[in-house]
Amino acid sequence: MSYLSLLLGIPLFGMGIIFLLSPRQYTLIRRIALLHSGLALGLAGWLWFLFDTTVATLQFVEHLQWNTHLGTSYALGIDGFSYPMVLLTALLCFVSLLASKGVRRPIKGYYMLMLVLETATLGVFMARDWAIFYLFWEVTLIPLFFLINFWGGPNRHGASINFMLYTLGGSVFMLISLLVLFDASPNRSFEMSAIALGAKTLPLDTQILVFLGFLIGFGVKMPVFPIHGWLPLAHVEAPSPVSILLSGILLKMGAYGLIRISGTLPTAALAFQDMLYALALIGLIYGGLLAWRQRDLKRMIAYASVSHMGVVLMGIASFNLIGMTGAVLQMVAHGLVAGSLFLLIGLLYERTHTRDIGDYSSLVLITPRFALFTVLALVAGTGLPGTAGFIAELHTLIGGFQQWGWSASILALGVIISAAYALRTIGRLFTGPVRPSIRNIDDLRPHELIAVGTLAVSIIVIGIYPAPTVSLFTASVTQFSTLFIQ
Amino acid sequence: MIKTLVALIPLLPWLVGGWIAVARVGRFSINERKIGHLSTLSALVVLLLILGLDVIALIQGLPGQVDVGTWFESDIYHVPISFTLDWLSLGHGTLVALLMTISMRFSTNYLHHEAGMMRFMMVMNLFAGSMMLIILSGNAVLTFVGWELAGVSSFLLIGYALDRPIATRNAQRAMVTNRIGDAGFILGIFLAYKWMGSVSWDQIHTLELGNDLISQTSLIACGFMLAALAKSAQFPFSPWISRALDGPTPSSAIFYGALMVHAGLYLTLRLAPLLVQEPWIMTLLVIVGLLTAFYGWISGLVQSDVKSALIFSTISQVGLMFFMCGMGWFTLAAWAMAAHASWRAWQLFHAPSLGFMTSKPAQPVPRWLSNQHWLYTAAQQRFWLEQIGDMLFTHSARKMAQDTRMFEERVVDRLIGVPSGESDTISSLVRWQAMKFEGGDHRKGHIGYGQGVFGKLIQTVATLLHWVEKHMVLKGTGENFLSGLQMLGNQLLRIDLILSRPRYLIFMIVITFVIIL
Repeated sequence: MSYLSLLLGIPLFGMGIIFLLSPRQYTLIRRIALLHSGLALGLAGWLWFLFDTTVATLQFVEHLQWNTHLGTSYALGIDGFSYPMVLLTALLCFVSLLASKGVRRPIKGYYMLMLVLETATLGVFMARDWAIFYLFWEVTLIPLFFLINFWGGPNRHGASINFMLYTLGGSVFMLISLLVLFDASPNRSFEMSAIALGAKTLPLDTQILVFLGFLIGFGVKMPVFPIHGWLPLAHVEAPSPVSILLSGILLKMGAYGLIRISGTLPTAALAFQDMLYALALIGLIYGGLLAWRQRDLKRMIAYASVSHMGVVLMGIASFNLIGMTGAVLQMVAHGLVAGSLFLLIGLLYERTHTRDIGDYSSLVLITPRFALFTVLALVAGTGLPGTAGFIAELHTLIGGFQQWGWSASILALGVIISAAYALRTIGRLFTGPVRPSIRNIDDLRPHELIAVGTLAVSIIVIGIYPAPTVSLFTASVTQFSTLFIQ
Repeated sequence: MIKTLVALIPLLPWLVGGWIAVARVGRFSINERKIGHLSTLSALVVLLLILGLDVIALIQGLPGQVDVGTWFESDIYHVPISFTLDWLSLGHGTLVALLMTISMRFSTNYLHHEAGMMRFMMVMNLFAGSMMLIILSGNAVLTFVGWELAGVSSFLLIGYALDRPIATRNAQRAMVTNRIGDAGFILGIFLAYKWMGSVSWDQIHTLELGNDLISQTSLIACGFMLAALAKSAQFPFSPWISRALDGPTPSSAIFYGALMVHAGLYLTLRLAPLLVQEPWIMTLLVIVGLLTAFYGWISGLVQSDVKSALIFSTISQVGLMFFMCGMGWFTLAAWAMAAHASWRAWQLFHAPSLGFMTSKPAQPVPRWLSNQHWLYTAAQQRFWLEQIGDMLFTHSARKMAQDTRMFEERVVDRLIGVPSGESDTISSLVRWQAMKFEGGDHRKGHIGYGQGVFGKLIQTVATLLHWVEKHMVLKGTGENFLSGLQMLGNQLLRIDLILSRPRYLIFMIVITFVIIL
């Protein structure tokens, strides 16, 4: 049974049904979207039982020749790197649809675009052929562009164009590199395994250039320090459910791509190792300090994402077992943490229409549930023991230490900075006197509680008992890290 | 069998106390009388248990050291849960259990409908278990656990009247004085570990190390004796006990009349085999005992209330017992202790109803004492022990605290920065409004400012990075790029418009022809 195609098809099918509905059937549209996203989540969760964690090979493989002249094929399959991301995508899509109740009307287009986005993102993580990988990669941009451009904040047009230009600019470099690799592949095929074989025959100089092209393409998405300019703008202007997806999954696409291309070009990746490490440290500190300086809550979380993705990059760049484990864990952890933060801040913004930290105080008295979950998410972001972030940062730190020694302890500095802004924010939001202007805001409603609660429980469960999650990708990470032992 | 029995003895009152605590926190509605009876019952069961142990000891001989299990261990350190069952502990334990039973029964009526009755019974149960642990425990660490818990329960009961500042202050004084003794106890445990690798009482007894004036034995004994003297309120630690009578009568009777005041003496008796090896410590005990007896006697003569008179007489009696220990008459001291405990408990239980029982007025201060003015004053002022202690330790400690506080404020706080202290958060609406009234919202301008050296460093770097972000990353590629693109588009559009005008079209065609030709 072709589970993966089914997984891709469910949201698309839901989109098709919504397409046939009248734009005025608001409740029905929302229910259909939730149903299909929920089904996709259920199927993704069901795969956990079928997924063999002991082997590093691809599973649930589907292969279909598409265009023999071009060498493209419809090839899907998941391994230990993809499956956690697939699960995260299904979960966060469902959560963000749950949180979409307050989105501006008309909503028909909104829900259709969200479902397309879900399919495209799942496709990126499942693709085993660089051609359809690239296809899905680009397809994610279209719904995102419209979602930001139509449903975003006051500055949405600039943000969406900026986002588009950045990502497309990165994609151009990626496409060129891809074509070079395609040219070198033995039987002129885009399949990932074939490309990896062909890449080894290239001279090292070419390999490095090719890797650089991919690095720019993925680095924009991830984002890596100097090319993160789209991120604060897009995150702030996007509607909150879209911010959840942007920072929860879209950033992970960049990291995931980087892992894939490092596996394809291990020698070139090793040549870039120290540069990646430096970029990771810069991003870590840079993002953290700028987050500390923001008074706009969404902007703060956006910059915190830059900082947290620095941890992921550091883990990847260590290219050893424990560091890579930390990187994948941090991808999951940050998806959950940033997802719940954007969710909570978005819901708060719906009620108060302000995102300035200075406008809030004493939420713990007015909205205790908000306070509980926000505090949890913020401290989880700083890597408090007992939350998912701690396990991830610890692994990354150990992996980084094995590779670079004491300089890896700069990661700890990043953690301190993150504690500074997290605690500052907690203090500002929740303590102090009750202000007249925010006295009458509602606490979390039941469906919002389900959305936030799911993420919070996942954060804590992974933090306290990480073994099942880690076992999902241990085999793949082990095999991956052997590529880099010289 | 014996193991279970002996382990149950301290555990049972603790369980009852814990149950009361749970009930109080959980706000179950339970009858006060029921709590009183339950506590009495548990004390009675403890008494029966220990009587059972007595019977076993009579029939089968003394069990001696009983090991129940290991509490914790690490490398060579090993702390067992062990109990010493000899005539000293069994005899004294029986007496304690009996007195506890009586006082529990007494408190059930005495504190009926008193605010905080549950709290009182909870602490009494805690104390009952702790006292039994002090008496039965087979090693110094376990004794120390009981010792501390007894100290804590004494603290809680002196401060029973939470609303009276004097009572809470006296509780604090008692606690602090006892802590001095505790330091000695911990020193004793540490040295015993270091030099012998064991804290079992029976091994500490057999210790023989060196013959110097200040030998290792004497240091260990010194530590334990410091604890004993402080607990039993001997000279110069006496003042705390006369201030400890703020608690309810049953607790005063049990703590300061009958049981806890004897805990120090009990420790001395326990250590008798060790002490006899050290003549100078014995001499010290004689001196301290006599001094205390004298102090208690003279001060007791001039007291005008019954509880104070009783407590001073207690101190002097206990002083005499220490004197006996110092002379080497340990058996005599043990009997004196038992007799004194029973008698004093009886007296203190009667103290509140003294007015009904006596017909004669209280005796005046003896003539020889009232003639000696300086002695009379000294006795009334309790020989200024408290003031001297305050002057020597409290004042200098306070001055030092002030100095360090100053250093903290002037230097450390400035370097480190006050972590979201008063300057950062606003605690009340009134303050917030005042702040707004003074000039704008103070909190608004406060994000992105750090305090202390590290904070300022972060602030500088963050400002710098913000500039980079704003002018290079966001503007350079984002907005500028967009506006540049737009400008370019406009220019092209203009050229396009110009080119599409007929005259330029014709001109272009002409040029094309010229080139072709």
